Amino acid sequence: MKRKLFVVLVLVVSQFAVAMLVMQLNPTLEQDQSEEIDVVNYIMKADQIDRMVADHSKFEILQQEFETPQAVTLACLSCHTERHHEIMANNHWTWDRNEKLALRDSVVSVGKKNILNNFCIGINGSEKTCSRCHIGYGWEDKSFDFTDKGNIDCLVCHDQSGTYKKAKGKAGYPEEGLDLNLISQSVGSPKRENCGICHYWGGGGNNVKHGDLDEAMNSCSREVDVHMAIDGEDMSCIACHTTENHVITGKVYALSSEDKNRVTCVQCHTETPHTDKLLNQHFERIACQTCHIPEYAKANATKMVWDWSTAGRLDAEGNTIHESDADGNHNYLSIKGTFVYDDHVKPEYFWFNGLADHLLITDSIESIPVQINTLEGSYNDKGKDCATESCSKIWPIKVHRGKQPYDVVSKKLVQPKLWSPNKGDSAYWTDFDWDNSIEAGMKYTGLPYSGEYDFVETEMYWPLNHQVAPAENSLTCTSCHSSSPDSRLANLNGFYLPGRDRFAMIDYLGIILILLTLGGVAIHGGIRVILRKNCLHDKK
Amino acid sequence: MKVYIYKVFERFWHWTQVTLIIILAITGFEIHGYYELFGYREAVMIHDRTAWAFLILIVFAIFWHFTTGEWKQYIPTLKLVKEQINYYITGIFSGAEHPTNKLVYNKFNPLQRIIYLGLKVLVIPVMVISGFAYMYFNYPNETYQLGSLDLVAAIHTFGAFFLIVFIIAHVYLTTTGHKPLSSIKAMITGWEEMDEKEAREMIVSEMEYSLQETKRNFLSEKDSSDFLDKALEETEEKIGVKKENKFRDVIANSGAGYFKIGADGLFVEVNRAWVNLYKYESCDEIIGEHYSLSRSERAITQLDETIAKVMKGETVEHGLVIRKCKDGSVGYHTITMTPWKQDEKIVGVEGFILDVDSSQAAKMEWENN
Ligand code: HEM
Repeated sequence: MKRKLFVVLVLVVSQFAVAMLVMQLNPTLEQDQSEEIDVVNYIMKADQIDRMVADHSKFEILQQEFETPQAVTLACLSCHTERHHEIMANNHWTWDRNEKLALRDSVVSVGKKNILNNFCIGINGSEKTCSRCHIGYGWEDKSFDFTDKGNIDCLVCHDQSGTYKKAKGKAGYPEEGLDLNLISQSVGSPKRENCGICHYWGGGGNNVKHGDLDEAMNSCSREVDVHMAIDGEDMSCIACHTTENHVITGKVYALSSEDKNRVTCVQCHTETPHTDKLLNQHFERIACQTCHIPEYAKANATKMVWDWSTAGRLDAEGNTIHESDADGNHNYLSIKGTFVYDDHVKPEYFWFNGLADHLLITDSIESIPVQINTLEGSYNDKGKDCATESCSKIWPIKVHRGKQPYDVVSKKLVQPKLWSPNKGDSAYWTDFDWDNSIEAGMKYTGLPYSGEYDFVETEMYWPLNHQVAPAENSLTCTSCHSSSPDSRLANLNGFYLPGRDRFAMIDYLGIILILLTLGGVAIHGGIRVILRKNCLHDKK
Repeated sequence: MKVYIYKVFERFWHWTQVTLIIILAITGFEIHGYYELFGYREAVMIHDRTAWAFLILIVFAIFWHFTTGEWKQYIPTLKLVKEQINYYITGIFSGAEHPTNKLVYNKFNPLQRIIYLGLKVLVIPVMVISGFAYMYFNYPNETYQLGSLDLVAAIHTFGAFFLIVFIIAHVYLTTTGHKPLSSIKAMITGWEEMDEKEAREMIVSEMEYSLQETKRNFLSEKDSSDFLDKALEETEEKIGVKKENKFRDVIANSGAGYFKIGADGLFVEVNRAWVNLYKYESCDEIIGEHYSLSRSERAITQLDETIAKVMKGETVEHGLVIRKCKDGSVGYHTITMTPWKQDEKIVGVEGFILDVDSSQAAKMEWENN
């Protein structure tokens, strides 16, 4: 008896030990979730030394009475004598770049100057208002002189007084009555406010376009953006978008296609930022952003839908209409049509290898919804051994859905002329006449227009990079590895994802086999019990 | 009575395998998405670690099977499969005997052999290979990559279902031993309870081994009369029959008969068991008689040949023969015959006969075929 107990004990103990080992029930083996994270190529805020190297208020040339903003530029250039070469080669100046688009053989002209989107469609014919976000003075139309260094607007990026402001519809000129001495003497490295004035406000309103670039990020909480959080690292844009000789790293995927000069998470966090190997492995096919940007538009709503086809409705007196939704976001404007805004939006997910195609104004529409910028990538696109960025990964994307005018006959998107200071100038926003505005816009662009337009659904894809959440808010395994329709990847098909995918056949077969076995056991055992008296065991 | 059939490692291996497979199944089906228990991430971590533990166990088990020769237990055979199946389908209900016996060197019935072998060479390797493929080739990697996990996952999932089915059937079948729990107790303690008959057969067959071994050791020595005692002791020790089970009685009943025949063909000595097997009353009836009385006319030439061989110095073992008893009835036994030497000269033959019951005989027949 003792021996038996001993044997059982030994077995139980050994099995318990085995189970402990594999399940790591031992609490001391638990992985420590330390708060400290290791980064490279970045000096943590606590260790940064902020030292002013030149006090511009002491420079005589900046004490002068400036007649024009150009005079400030020339004053800058009198010391920074060669900087204008850098600026004039920069996309912020040219709004134009030649790129080889994915799946196209020839190099084409893209950039803000040439490309269409499904927000305000395009700048052509409306430069005077669009160029409010141009780092120059006076881009009213095609006659703008891109070689005149005096037209460079240094201040919009370098003002640190917080008082510099470009005027509306004034081709990039600042508002009247600014204290240009104060402003020019305040200059320094661009802060979030400088970049944000254009990049937050793209598409005509705060956070409209990107959804992850919001004025609120000038001073936000960790929940909105761990990097920029005011109570955290409080990072500026250029902390990541490192800049040398005015070449700013990072490009908008929506406008630029070649996979170069990007800003990546890896540049600071390395390719193995997690202590958990399994998580690091995910990096091979999943962009960091996918888990770490679980939602966007966290502080303010972003525009999800823009339907131009309803534009033009005026009230009884012929005045334009402004309607807002319950949250105070526009949902109808006579000049622009119907919108849908949303906040705390869950991204959509796509395979993306860093390359994008763009629908040029000269391209015919082949499918609807029209893809304004097609993100290249697929599960099977494994890049060059996945060693390069060009390996497709799952990315979180803001999809902006639009409905915008196109030429029914040529099946091409069109460029309407939208803005003019005066009525009767064919601009849609003043005259509300699509025919005229398209005709004027196309003529300005130098392209044919059949005279027949309609509206077509379009989609534009905005890979998300900002509003990174604190680690504790990032996605968890079952956010994706789940068969529930709420799985983040419920719609990203064409590959087997454990936990999400099953083979119904195998499951049915397996369950049926189990049930049959259980049934067989029950019947067989039942008969044995009933006929017990016949059984060998009980026969003495 | 109880017989020791599962060695320490074997039991450790078995129960560890049970633990690991259950953990793998529980976490595996959580990963599969059937329920939430540990949490997906924990389930994956546990599944991965358990998989490694399982692999290590398998390596040890392979090593053990080959160094101990236990692998032979799994050599498949189709003989008696039908009988075994019939037993489970009908015989078991009417209290029929197991068509096959548990023997130390034949622990498994033919069905078990086939199924366990299938597990070992097919299901478990498939699970391990598909599992590690799942673990390591899930992402593209420079040299090896899977187009997609589809196939691997399909195989792995089906294997998992199969293992569940196996576990259910296996656990149920353990209740078909001597008593419902005797098989499980055996796997825990190593000692299996068997009915007398089964145990006796097991002992006999084990004894045969021991006898042969012992004989080899004693062959050169002139006095070999205590073969049997030595062999019995050894057997007792080896198969661990418990003392209180009156092992000697069992052996006496089991019918290991001893005989010695002179060069003239006349019996010099037989033991009590031999007399019993041949259904005589006493030794006196046999001593001095010619060995031909032990066979039918048809079978006598075979015995003549055997004795002639042994007289020339050979040892003949294990022939299954049919004896003729006093009353003219027949019985089966195996025979082990060696030369009887005095002063380096062969002066006759001696040996053991071991009674074989009919099912044992059937088994012997197919083993010889
Ligand atoms: C050494 C053996 C094994 C290895 C290496 C292994 C490995 C794996 C791996 C890597 C996965 C994918 C999830 C993950 O990343 O952890 C997985 C899934 C799974 N495993 Fe195993 N496993 C093994 C044995 C078993 C056994 C014995 C069972 C069941 C009795 C099992 C049942 C499952 C199930 C049901 C899944 C989910 C499959 C799916 O839904 O796609 N595994 N296994």
